[in-house]
Amino acid sequence: MKQSITLKDLTADLIVEQAHAEQEPGWLAERRHEAWTFFAQSGPPEWRRTDLSGLAPDALTLSGSVGTELIWDASLADQGIVFKPLRQALNSHEELIKAHMDTAVAPLDHKFSALRAALWTDGVLLYVPKNVAVDTPIHVRYTLPADHHMIMPRTLVILEANASATVIEEFVSADRSEQALAAPVTELITGPNSTLRFISVQQWGDGVYHIGGQKAVLGNNASLEWTSLALGAKVQHIEAETTLKGNGSRVNWLGATFANGSQVLVTAPWLRHIGHNAESFMQFKTVVNDTAYSVFDGMIKIEHESTATSTRLEEHALHLKPGARNDSIPGLKIDTNSVLKGGHASTSGDVDDEQLFYMQTRGLSKNEARRMIVMGFFSPALDTIPVEALRHQLEAVIEAKI
Amino acid sequence: MSNDLVIKDLCANIGDNEILKGVNLTIRGGTIHAIMGPNGSGKSTLAHVIAGHPDYEVTAGEIWYGGQNILELEADERSKLGLFLAFQYPVAVPGVTVANFLRAAINAHRAEEGKDPKATAIPMAEFRKMLREGMKTLEMDEGFARRYLNEGFSGGEKKRLEILQMTMLKPGMVVMDETDSGLDIDALRIVAEGVNRLAGPELGALVITHYQRLLNYIKPNFVSVMMDGRIVRDGGPELALELEEKGYDWLREELAGAA
Repeated sequence: MKQSITLKDLTADLIVEQAHAEQEPGWLAERRHEAWTFFAQSGPPEWRRTDLSGLAPDALTLSGSVGTELIWDASLADQGIVFKPLRQALNSHEELIKAHMDTAVAPLDHKFSALRAALWTDGVLLYVPKNVAVDTPIHVRYTLPADHHMIMPRTLVILEANASATVIEEFVSADRSEQALAAPVTELITGPNSTLRFISVQQWGDGVYHIGGQKAVLGNNASLEWTSLALGAKVQHIEAETTLKGNGSRVNWLGATFANGSQVLVTAPWLRHIGHNAESFMQFKTVVNDTAYSVFDGMIKIEHESTATSTRLEEHALHLKPGARNDSIPGLKIDTNSVLKGGHASTSGDVDDEQLFYMQTRGLSKNEARRMIVMGFFSPALDTIPVEALRHQLEAVIEAKI
Repeated sequence: MSNDLVIKDLCANIGDNEILKGVNLTIRGGTIHAIMGPNGSGKSTLAHVIAGHPDYEVTAGEIWYGGQNILELEADERSKLGLFLAFQYPVAVPGVTVANFLRAAINAHRAEEGKDPKATAIPMAEFRKMLREGMKTLEMDEGFARRYLNEGFSGGEKKRLEILQMTMLKPGMVVMDETDSGLDIDALRIVAEGVNRLAGPELGALVITHYQRLLNYIKPNFVSVMMDGRIVRDGGPELALELEEKGYDWLREELAGAA
């Protein structure tokens, strides 16, 4: 899209015209057209807990493909690994993208999913061929260049059979005094016996609305270690899912959300079991401070065709101030009689006075003790971050929010 | 002397219950002073009030240590003066490793007002050496330092960690609250040896116990008996043996007779 176009000036014709100008394949122009039509005809989504009343997208400008940064060891390309901006990848890997894009996150689900599908420009393709294992983290970073901008980046990760990779997806910007919108789509497609470690970090500055869709689809005996960190933005609404489609697939999903000030951070992570003998574990931790509000809308869905599922979902929340709120809404939907293990738990409370006293008797001030307790609360998720500099930077962000 | 712990006419409540009803007690610096007494006599409350637990309300009296009345000080300030409470039930803090916690505690003690905390912090190599040596003397596995504070620890591990912290923070006065509870003989021996290594002119200790058993390992200079929120009898080590032999009822009767 042209950089100067605001949302209210866009039309279906303009979008198709622009796609042709960019020499995008015809199928993509068609998808954009269809998505835009859906967007234009849809009312706002009915998200009871996500307050979008302050968002006025009509006046926002599309950023163009300026917000994608790729950080990796480029010599990995010698092993057949493809890691490039998604639009560039259309030239070299069109069929691969066509076959996988939009298969995990449905584009015509609601107004914002359609908007993302119609207008994406930034994005990245990561393709790891069969039997290729990479240890060094592959990192994509999305940024918002200015106030009143919007970015719709798409991360598409495809792991072939027996492949393994560690991927970091980061959203970061300076604080914005005016509003800005990020509406990303993340699709993780993993083949048989593949192993993916995926770390998603949302640390936008103030003023940003983040409306994201993320979905992983696991192949037979595939394994996913997923860490979701949510620290920034004014309002976040993330719908995330791991679909355990393959037999014997496994996911270990850790979350850490910290809302302070007047942030509203909503996360709806789902575990969906389809394959046989699949195992899932989800543990999300939330800290709320000041008058912030967070929502954990987690769900385990065990489909009819699955057998011998083992699953557990946990959410633990810590309140630092009486005005801070967290809603935990864990759900369990089972459409089969064949479940091996299933359970969920949620806890919520203030920082424990006995922990504070114990630590104070060793000389730590109350603030220092509180800081350590919060950092300790998040340590399962933080410990999975493979880049030390990033981990330290995130720890500093968390400390500043306590 | 300023390294004495002096408790004067101390009264304290929890909620509406008066637990301490005028405690008078002096622990001389460099001595080991045992407090014995039946369950519910107020021994643990005394330990918590000395350490500064916010749930207890002190209604009268004073506690002097290090040349000042410490009742107005927060628990961390009391720690920095050199007081140490070894807990009967050490508290678990998930996600905080033993090593990180100990380093933070040591650095809190080393911090000086107006100075950059980085400048006063213990050098990493020095800390590691101190930690390794401390763990070795307490027969603790090296992996212990990476575990989360008291999380999933056995009774013996918890008490060893209390003594490790005491070893590394070098207090001038320790209050040991039923350190023997929940320990088998081996753990009790290790813990007691840990205390005895530190004992000397630089360390005073208030050892709270229900049983004489601990005092076979940690030899007190003085023994006091607490009942119903007061110190009712002072003596030497022989008093502990007498209590072991005869229980507390004779003392209760004697006191009732005297009243």
